[in-house]
Amino acid sequence: MLALHELQQRFATAVLGEDDSGFERAIHAAGLTGAQRLQVYRNNTRLGLTGALAAVYPVVQQLVGEGFFHYAAAQYITRYPSRSGNLHEFGGPFATFLETFEPAAGLSYLPDVARLEWAYHEVFHAAHHAPLDLSALAAVPAERQGELRFQLHPAARLLESSFPILCIWQAHQNVDHDHPPVRLDDGGIKLMVFRHENLDIEFQSLPDGEFHLLYALVTGCNFATACEQAISAQPGFDLPASFRRHVLQGALTAFYLPDTSSSIHDHP
Amino acid sequence: MSAKLATSRLGPGPIPVRAGIGLRAEHYDVLLETRPPVGWLEIHSENYFGAGGKPLDYLERIRAHYPLSLHGVGLSIGSTDPLNHWHLTQLKRLIQRFEPALVSEHLSWGSAGGRYLNDLLPLPCTEEALYHLIARVAQVQDILGRQILIENISSYLQYTHSTIPEWEFLAELAERAGCGVLLDVNNIYVSARNHGFDPDTYLRAIPQRAVQEIHLAGFTVNRFEGGEILIDTHNQPVCPAVWALYRQAVQRFGPRPTLIEWDTGLPELAVLVNEAQQADAILEERHARAA
Repeated sequence: MLALHELQQRFATAVLGEDDSGFERAIHAAGLTGAQRLQVYRNNTRLGLTGALAAVYPVVQQLVGEGFFHYAAAQYITRYPSRSGNLHEFGGPFATFLETFEPAAGLSYLPDVARLEWAYHEVFHAAHHAPLDLSALAAVPAERQGELRFQLHPAARLLESSFPILCIWQAHQNVDHDHPPVRLDDGGIKLMVFRHENLDIEFQSLPDGEFHLLYALVTGCNFATACEQAISAQPGFDLPASFRRHVLQGALTAFYLPDTSSSIHDHP
Repeated sequence: MSAKLATSRLGPGPIPVRAGIGLRAEHYDVLLETRPPVGWLEIHSENYFGAGGKPLDYLERIRAHYPLSLHGVGLSIGSTDPLNHWHLTQLKRLIQRFEPALVSEHLSWGSAGGRYLNDLLPLPCTEEALYHLIARVAQVQDILGRQILIENISSYLQYTHSTIPEWEFLAELAERAGCGVLLDVNNIYVSARNHGFDPDTYLRAIPQRAVQEIHLAGFTVNRFEGGEILIDTHNQPVCPAVWALYRQAVQRFGPRPTLIEWDTGLPELAVLVNEAQQADAILEERHARAA
């Protein structure tokens, strides 16, 4: 008799892979064979997981077409099986998969478009966070401001690509409207995917200095180092205005001064 | 219903003995604007496991007007993998925030060795599987601190080593784990057609007091060379044969909260509301006869 544990392992292998040698003998053949019945589950699993991927990556699907997308998804499902009972968590490494997916090698921008769509998906489901406490920030003594460290809003993601992925994304949002043609040699983009307090999600194209300021802050640099990196990336850019904008729109949500009694100024 | 329902800080509490509908994102706005007269709403729990954003925001606003039921599709309660505690933590958080009157899962498994198929897969009806399920349901009820309902699934295969009819398996599980039964009448019909049993045998085996909710949905017929198979697709209206089986179920179990499920090829909200009204009419007939 097939023990429950073994049955489930073999069932999963049969559904995810090609190897179902002998397993169909554990299935009643009545009208349909065991292999045909297993095929129903193989189809259901593939369609369910492909549907979940298509929901997160609609632009990738438009770029490659439905047939190609289904083919890619079938490969992805076996190489990066779902690890969660929550389908919204499925598909994170799709961009990484596409990088080495030979049939898509001609579409060098595809992985970055996938990264943009995953960032949007994460931001859509991310936690709420109250804006930064401006009066507490203003109370930090001037001589200590360089030591400040900041946190990015949970519903904000920074992305950098050497392709015009935002133009590509926009050109696939409303297919009934005419969009200017996307020119791949228009160059890359630095951007932030950001969810506003009203839950609308916006793609903000960032100048080099602004991107490096925020990038340095989210990777743990203090304010002084972040400012240096921003200025060296884009000499002469209006750093105070840029910083103010991100504080006011809520992209920077909390700050703290290390090595002092004052703990993090965080109002979740 | 003349009795006034208790209202929590969130909105109406208990699920009335009426028809409800599955809440789907496409209907959020029209539901809030029109507030159709359906008795209650059911969500797929996992759709609200995110930390924030629109799904939870809408649910908060909608919950203010309707009683709520949570229906899980991903816990994989029948798997021999260890219980997924992260999944349960998220479910518990959702229960604490939205205070649903009912919480349900499926008589199925969906993961093996940490790989999820994200599907509702059939269990063999053996004593080993039954004991496993009894222990798992008890464990989940302990962690959640409440009773859950277990729903019978549609199945497309039967294992040669099953020794217990599914209806006895489910009745025994409810009895020994102390869970309730969510009886999916469409799933009984689909499995009965697929495996050639009499749906009435299923209904007669389930203890009346265990049934706390009923599901109704539409299915698809797939034709194979040499046969056909019914697939539980939730993509069309409830068919006449399933309405007839529903009348039988209401006759046997008494009126129970009844849900219209529709997941793919979602129509306008009004179509679901109309289906719910048909179920309400059948519940009313039974109420009237009982009075």
